[in-house]
Amino acid sequence: MTERGAVFDLGYTPHEGERRGRRGAIGTTYRDGLYRVFGIHRRARKKIFPWLLVVFAILPAVVFVGFAFLLSTFAPEADSPFGGHAEYFGITASVVLLFVALAAPELLIPDRREGVLAVYSSRPLRPDDYVGARAASLLTVIAGFMLIPQALMYIGFAALSSDGFFQALGSNANEIPKVLGAAVVYALAFAPVGLLISTIASRKAAATGIYFGVMLIGTALAAALVEASGVPGSRYAALLGVAEHPTHVSDWIFGRVGSSDLVVASTGFDPWVSLAVILVVAAVSSATVVWRYRRIM
Amino acid sequence: MDDAAILSARDLGHAYGSIVALHGVEFDLPPGRIGLVGANGAGKTTLIKILLGILRPTTGSATVLGFDATKDMLDVRSRIGYMPEGDCLPLDVTASEFIVYAAGLAGLPPNAARQRSSDVLTLVGLEEERFRPLGGFSTGMKQRTKLAQAIVHDPELVFLDEPTAGLDPEGREEMLELISRLGGFGINVLVSSHVLGDIERTCDRVLMLDGGRVLRSGPLSHLVDADVVSVDVIGDVPAVVEHLEAIGAGVEASGSRLLVSSSSDDPFRLVRDALSETGNGMRSMGPKATTLEDVFLEGSET
Repeated sequence: MTERGAVFDLGYTPHEGERRGRRGAIGTTYRDGLYRVFGIHRRARKKIFPWLLVVFAILPAVVFVGFAFLLSTFAPEADSPFGGHAEYFGITASVVLLFVALAAPELLIPDRREGVLAVYSSRPLRPDDYVGARAASLLTVIAGFMLIPQALMYIGFAALSSDGFFQALGSNANEIPKVLGAAVVYALAFAPVGLLISTIASRKAAATGIYFGVMLIGTALAAALVEASGVPGSRYAALLGVAEHPTHVSDWIFGRVGSSDLVVASTGFDPWVSLAVILVVAAVSSATVVWRYRRIM
Repeated sequence: MDDAAILSARDLGHAYGSIVALHGVEFDLPPGRIGLVGANGAGKTTLIKILLGILRPTTGSATVLGFDATKDMLDVRSRIGYMPEGDCLPLDVTASEFIVYAAGLAGLPPNAARQRSSDVLTLVGLEEERFRPLGGFSTGMKQRTKLAQAIVHDPELVFLDEPTAGLDPEGREEMLELISRLGGFGINVLVSSHVLGDIERTCDRVLMLDGGRVLRSGPLSHLVDADVVSVDVIGDVPAVVEHLEAIGAGVEASGSRLLVSSSSDDPFRLVRDALSETGNGMRSMGPKATTLEDVFLEGSET
């Protein structure tokens, strides 16, 4: 007796399970944004820069805590030369600026260049949903860059405190809203401009270059204009230094106004002016991005 | 509007500034495989974009699967798939990852998305290539990937915009075969194409657009199977023509070949009787072979 094989044509099976509609589409777009900025499911070279920046953002916090451990062991009376939460924003701000310059174009430009927007246009997703999900991905990553090292320092310093871990956590709890507030300010200052430039530019490299131009050269140009011109009212050029405003506001939040040599501070602008500039730029940038995507999706 | 129709339009119009792309378009299309045909600039892509909710009509309204294409855009998009004419594939991810993503975008949970991605890529013949980046795919493989993303979420209706564009003969055959099979899966299809032969191969109904207006609409069999007999006469051709006209038949003569039609009688029987009565013979006789192209050209000339 011989065994006989059988070939089954499974054909096409309809999907009769759950469909999550718009909620699922937004969640998928958001998750894809996170994968994309970290190069997950992408080639190895796309992973190098994002993960290098993660290391740059977190490693100093580990060094701070490690140094604090050494000091607490060998020189308990000495002060840490690195400072605390407020000072650390100076480090992460630079890393976040670099990250946004690379991540914002990655989030928006390939979908437009490669025509993938046509696929989004056939899914239960509005243009605002798409832009919102992409922005949420970027803001989540910025929040991670800003807050994970701060949390590491908060917990690390508390663990090393001579007052005891929980006592130190409680006594430093007033730092938490300041850290959160400063993180929100940096995110609002950096992300919407990055998304706006990525909406206008057609190539990722161009968008990254323009972003650096606006954020860094803009600040240098503002300083040069203020210094070179003796014309009354020239101090308003300091407001063009977009990258300085979040630091000015962050110093205000942490009660350190005047501790940085910011052009916007030295020309006499109050921190609330910087906050207003950040909010106006963020609102105009976001509205422009949404308007543009409503036209092309 | 017809309750059984999957696609309907009433006085549908759209203009890009002063350029009118669609004007006074009306149709009720039942379930099945529908061909949307027309020359370049006829308004096919504009119509599809309105049905997808991407464009708002300037006048009138359209419904898709019973939902208003503009007001109920999300309901429509939850139930349809779309294969665009142009590029729509991210080049730096694998076919599998993109199709899983496309399924997730349509609202399928992750496990179902992965399962259906695998099934659909097998269905379109890409099971061996599914872990290769899309940037290295040939045109034919890209077209099949585009079809896979359009059906991965098991839509009720799928819009295919020029699905055979850029394909070599072999790839074209495979794509047409795939499209023909979709009906058997319970997926209604609207195929937009200016290649009328493709529509004849794959569709059972046609909507013809010309200059932004509906030229013809109806079952393909009604449009191409005209009640006309073609006969090649041996003998006294004028006598046969005279006899046919005397008994009420319509006759078009071109040399010895006659095209005979009748609204009241079977034209085959009239030809047989005329040849018999006049004592003439014939070389061949049969139904006139009418192609969709003939119908289109005939309609656009009037």
